Amino acid sequence: MKRLFIIISLLAAGLAARAQNVSDLIISEALAVPDSTGILDGYGARGGWIEILNTSQGTVTVGGCFLTDDKGNLTKSLIPKSDSRTQLLPRQVMLFYASGKGSQGTFYTDFKVQKGSTIYLVSNDGRTIIDSLVVPAELPDGMSVAKFPIDAKQIKHETAQEPCVPTPGILNDSVNSKTKAQEMAEKDPHGFILTVVSVSVVFLALAILWFLFTTLFKDKSNQPKKEKKAPAKKGAKAPEDEGVALAIALALEMERNSGDFAAIAMALHLHLTQSVHDAESFVVTFDQESGKNSSWRNKQLNFRQLPR
Amino acid sequence: MEQIISSLEQFWQFTGFANVAWQNLVMIAIGIGFITVAIIKEWEPLLLVPIGFGMIIGNIPMFPGLNIGIYENGSVLNTLYQGVKQGWYPPLIFLGIGAMTDFSALISQPRLILIGAAAQMGIFGAYLLAMHVGFLPNEAGAIGIIGGADGPTAIFLSSKLAPDLMGAIAVSAYSYMALVPVIQRPIMLALTNKKERLIRMPVPRQVSPKEKMIFPIVGFLTTAFIVPSGLPLLGMLFFGNLLKESGVTRRLAETARGPLIDVVTTLIGLTVGASTQADKFLTGKSLLIFGLGLLSFVIATTCGVLFVKGINVFIKNPAKKINPLIGNAGVSAVPDSARVSEVVGKEFDKNNHLLMHAMGPNVAGVIGSAVAAGILLSFLG
Repeated sequence: MKRLFIIISLLAAGLAARAQNVSDLIISEALAVPDSTGILDGYGARGGWIEILNTSQGTVTVGGCFLTDDKGNLTKSLIPKSDSRTQLLPRQVMLFYASGKGSQGTFYTDFKVQKGSTIYLVSNDGRTIIDSLVVPAELPDGMSVAKFPIDAKQIKHETAQEPCVPTPGILNDSVNSKTKAQEMAEKDPHGFILTVVSVSVVFLALAILWFLFTTLFKDKSNQPKKEKKAPAKKGAKAPEDEGVALAIALALEMERNSGDFAAIAMALHLHLTQSVHDAESFVVTFDQESGKNSSWRNKQLNFRQLPR
Repeated sequence: MEQIISSLEQFWQFTGFANVAWQNLVMIAIGIGFITVAIIKEWEPLLLVPIGFGMIIGNIPMFPGLNIGIYENGSVLNTLYQGVKQGWYPPLIFLGIGAMTDFSALISQPRLILIGAAAQMGIFGAYLLAMHVGFLPNEAGAIGIIGGADGPTAIFLSSKLAPDLMGAIAVSAYSYMALVPVIQRPIMLALTNKKERLIRMPVPRQVSPKEKMIFPIVGFLTTAFIVPSGLPLLGMLFFGNLLKESGVTRRLAETARGPLIDVVTTLIGLTVGASTQADKFLTGKSLLIFGLGLLSFVIATTCGVLFVKGINVFIKNPAKKINPLIGNAGVSAVPDSARVSEVVGKEFDKNNHLLMHAMGPNVAGVIGSAVAAGILLSFLG
């Protein structure tokens, strides 16, 4: 059972780690041939480019991964691992210039984007293809091929059927996107809809709790009580034993003239009879000096005896 | 000699006297006022003393660029302020609240849960009013949460929705929480008659340890599945309660409700106070926020009391009627608003103890305000 727990914990930890790794990266956009309005790279040249998107909500290191346009050579263009700029923040994009000369810098690839080719993003193991993007052969110059989110969580993406106006370095769906508050201001300028919905949800949530607690925790105080036998707990004492314990404690009290024994006996009595005693945080303990000279404290008795 | 004078002149430029503005003095006076009220009247001293002193710290006039101020990256105060800004402190406070709260009152009388929902109308009433006076929806949502009467929730939500308004919202929330007895009593008296105030409620049944253990799990699963955006607050609240009720994690529960919550309360109070720098705080918006905050408390109390009166119409058995004086406790200012119910109730019947009954809606209000915060976050975040 313990092993099972450990395995489950390790699996959960593994899944949690996977949640923020390179598998969350996708090739979100690529351009093969720019027109006169295309962006310039750091060397003033105008060429194709590849954009990578981090779809997760955690930072991912792109460094160490590979970009390639050849399925037979998955390690064609290495993204340098040592460059701290390859840390890609959540829901952000990173742009690589497909200059064909990877030696030009971190964000340059060793191949050019060709029409009709497929670009692959390969994991840092050099074998696993994380994502790919097909660049159509008929893609017009100055237009890009891009992927857009298809679910509300914006994790799954699909390649657009039509050529797109290039948006290098910008999220593909963010050009005209508004914040939730801006959308709400347009849809619900006076706030009535949000108020009605929110109040309903608050009432619903607490009404469900009410229903659950009423069902789960029924008041049994009004129901006729069944005659209950003493708890069959392991080590529990029968009622007559409790009486004996009490009697012994009281006798001890008289003998030793201390109220402590009576208190202990009362606590034991309450515990054994499952009465109102509640296991709260405040626990009464007795720290007496009476055991000062017991065998447990006798150093001589605690030493290992020498063999004779 | 000239060098000495020049050095002294330079030093003068760095002193508070050379950089002081009247706004700083106003804020320092408010800070001293908070401390005075906390010490003399004992109104929320654990909060008002740190906030008041934080206000004084934050408004000491200084030469910018020394990496000392709360808004200067990397300064000590700025580092401590990250707990507020990033929203770490409020869930930790909720952990402590969960570990110190006994939900027995709620478990024994589940029908009182809905009062906690009714009192959340203060949040949405203030939201509507804030929208009406021209705040953006996200700002209005952050202002509205003041009506939840829950400081940590107010800080959590405003840090997400309207960080610029957080100082004013947090100070407003904590100030009105301290003024709960002053605000709620007249409303309760105005909305109830003598007969209603004398209603005696049946003694709540005893709750078993098993029920207390099941409560945080069921409560968390239900609320978190409905409003996952409230996860940081709800998760910590119910987790803290499970630590308390499980009986096997006593040490953890004691740390959560003792040293941990003390440390976080100190830091949250001090840094929220220090964030009220005059140039950022003394604005027309802040005054509006204070006004709306007061109205949100009034609406919350009114709705709570009226809701109980409404329920009583449908309860035919006189022995099961609910005293409307516990309606105010639906706001989550624990346990102050429940204490107000007890005090006001005893004014009319010395032997009518409403505290345990009022604790039911009171802790339901904590859950309700966290749920409301989650809803606002999912719509406006």
